[in-house]
Amino acid sequence: MTLDLDRPMAPSTPAATAAATDADLVARTRRGDREAADALARRCRRPAYLLALQLLRDPDDALDVAQDALLRLFTTLHRVEPGRPIRPWLSAIVRNRARDLMRRRKVRRAAPLVSDDPETGVELIDHSPGPADHAERAELKARIWRALGTLSEGQREILVLRDYQDLKYDEIAAVLRVPIGTVMSRLHRARKALREVLGSGDGGPSDG
Amino acid sequence: MAERLTVHPPCGRRFAEELLSGYLDDALTQGDDQRVRLHLEDCPNCRAQVEEMSKLREVTMSTRFVEPRDDQWDERPRGTASRLSRGVGWLLVVAWLAIVAGFAAWQFATSPEALTLKTFVFAGVLGVVLLFLSVVIDRVKAMKTDRYRGIEK
Repeated sequence: MTLDLDRPMAPSTPAATAAATDADLVARTRRGDREAADALARRCRRPAYLLALQLLRDPDDALDVAQDALLRLFTTLHRVEPGRPIRPWLSAIVRNRARDLMRRRKVRRAAPLVSDDPETGVELIDHSPGPADHAERAELKARIWRALGTLSEGQREILVLRDYQDLKYDEIAAVLRVPIGTVMSRLHRARKALREVLGSGDGGPSDG
Repeated sequence: MAERLTVHPPCGRRFAEELLSGYLDDALTQGDDQRVRLHLEDCPNCRAQVEEMSKLREVTMSTRFVEPRDDQWDERPRGTASRLSRGVGWLLVVAWLAIVAGFAAWQFATSPEALTLKTFVFAGVLGVVLLFLSVVIDRVKAMKTDRYRGIEK
């Protein structure tokens, strides 16, 4: 099935489509339902963008990768098993697109994969209740984000999939194509590495 | 922030350390979960480790990022029309190159130049073609041995 991606998206989504499950939308999209395809695209673009942003740490690159991944999602939708969750499939596509981009960067300009520069344009939002709590949590979030940038690509990847994306172990295993036990051991190593970075004060300039 | 996150030394637990992460994520079997829970009751080091990881995870999960505006999504790259035009474009370019190369080869083969000169020019062209082929073969091999090739791109 091929979708016409040049056609503009519908301006609004009917309530029935908005309430549909991912599996319903996938099934309807595969039957050629344009409204369902629009709803599915709207539903998938946010998690696609956020995962790309967390992996690439650059908003412009993340938007490019997310849009590219959405296009790929729709052209491979016929290969998703009916009733299976769409999220691991989408995450795998985003993750591979992000890896491709990082590899090209490595070859093209030998630039660092991750910038610790606060001017990267990535903005964190905090909704903590009290001012003191707000400041402390915001600071810790920023430190974790910076520390994440110092980890290896594999460690960052698995921490993002679990702790930012909240994927379950079996979903991470599907994305990375590794056994669940490997997910657990890699994740634990990554968490230890993150704690070491935070404990050593390499999490950013405000540690002193 | 004044608080320092510390790394605890190994203790006498009788299970793999990564089960602490599995315990934290509620991803263990009932038996493993019970084993870890019992150990944590007696081991302040592991308990502190799990509490630290739990705090980090909770703070991480609550992190929110600024997202693009709706209108930034409207320009979707490579729709059907652009992909089709690109495919046709490549087809035309390859066909044109094949015809031009064939014509040039035929002209060269039927020209009255000396055999020595023809051999010299042919060797040069063959060398370039072989170099190009070797690069292509290497790229194809690299794609086949890519451990991530099985995953959807």
